[in-house]
Amino acid sequence: MEQQKQGNPAVVGLGGFGLTTMVLQFHNVGWMGIGPVIWLGLIFGGLAQMIAGFQEKSTGNNFGYCAFTAYGAFWISLALLLIGNQFNIYVSSKTDIGWFLVAWTLFTAILWIGALRIHGAMATTFTLLLIGFILLDLAHFGYPQLTVVAGYELMATALAAWYMMAHVIFADVYGRSILPVGNPWIKA
Amino acid sequence: MYSIRKQTRQALLALTVTITTVLCTAAAADEGAATPDEVVTKVWSAAKVLQTKGASAIPSLNNADGPWVWKDSYVFAFDCRLDRMVAHPMRPDLVGRPIMQVTDNNGKFIFKELCDAAKHKNGGWVEYQWTRPGAGQTSRKLSYAVTADLAFSTGIQVAAGVYDETLSVEQLNKMTEQLADPGSFDH
Repeated sequence: MEQQKQGNPAVVGLGGFGLTTMVLQFHNVGWMGIGPVIWLGLIFGGLAQMIAGFQEKSTGNNFGYCAFTAYGAFWISLALLLIGNQFNIYVSSKTDIGWFLVAWTLFTAILWIGALRIHGAMATTFTLLLIGFILLDLAHFGYPQLTVVAGYELMATALAAWYMMAHVIFADVYGRSILPVGNPWIKA
Repeated sequence: MYSIRKQTRQALLALTVTITTVLCTAAAADEGAATPDEVVTKVWSAAKVLQTKGASAIPSLNNADGPWVWKDSYVFAFDCRLDRMVAHPMRPDLVGRPIMQVTDNNGKFIFKELCDAAKHKNGGWVEYQWTRPGAGQTSRKLSYAVTADLAFSTGIQVAAGVYDETLSVEQLNKMTEQLADPGSFDH
């Protein structure tokens, strides 16, 4: 019997990661408030990306399993943290959020090293993500004007994630590779 | 004899009424007018709350019955980078609107000066004409502005002011520096 075709959970994971990252940057550069970031962070960036992460487990892809589950958890934590501030539950100051971001920067640095071995698009996305996190760290510790720089930089990160999503989807529907992802930055 | 006594009594009554009126007015003025150190305390508290609670603290700044409105003063918040009013408990019509082109009756660009003042480490005072809450015409207002630090933001500016005819900006800036750093003024 022919095996049933399986979907790639990365298309949802990358979609949610990219979209929530994008709307947070729309907020960071000052185009909109924080409201939509919270709800999208809970549902698309959070719940959907986390489920995609769990689905990566059965594909045997440890990088995707860890990254999607973790960044899904990041979005849920961030949204709950901001909701907590509204309702006076464990209120997190700007400095507290700064340290939260520092921890995620360190975590991202580990995945970044892994991403260098995957392909060019993954290496690009994680390099941009790592730089974005560092900019946000600095913005929370004395250089608030870097929030806007981080905003535009992380919009590029979101686009890079969507590029990989598009790569998988287009390859499937067109039956051939449309968008190249490039060679790994670290070979062999 | 009778008329002299009556006159005296009337004079005494008039005097009593006058004294009572003066005292009551003075007491009312005391009750009703915010002082510069109250303004500094309120502005610092508002900045601290924004630093602690982030964007979720902004709605309370728009509440005319909230903690940031007292006597004849109130805290308002604005974003100098984005050129817009963030919160104003007395003038909800101004919230979300551009601020940089706002001038007083003398043509002074109020928010340009407030933004410059807020750039200083301990903030600064600006003098301009503004309508006191409930009054029909503008009067001299001195406002103290600082920049508040909040997460996922380049910071927003918060300010509040006193309505006063005599105080000077220099005097108030000196008072504020002293409040911010009492140690350096010990002699």
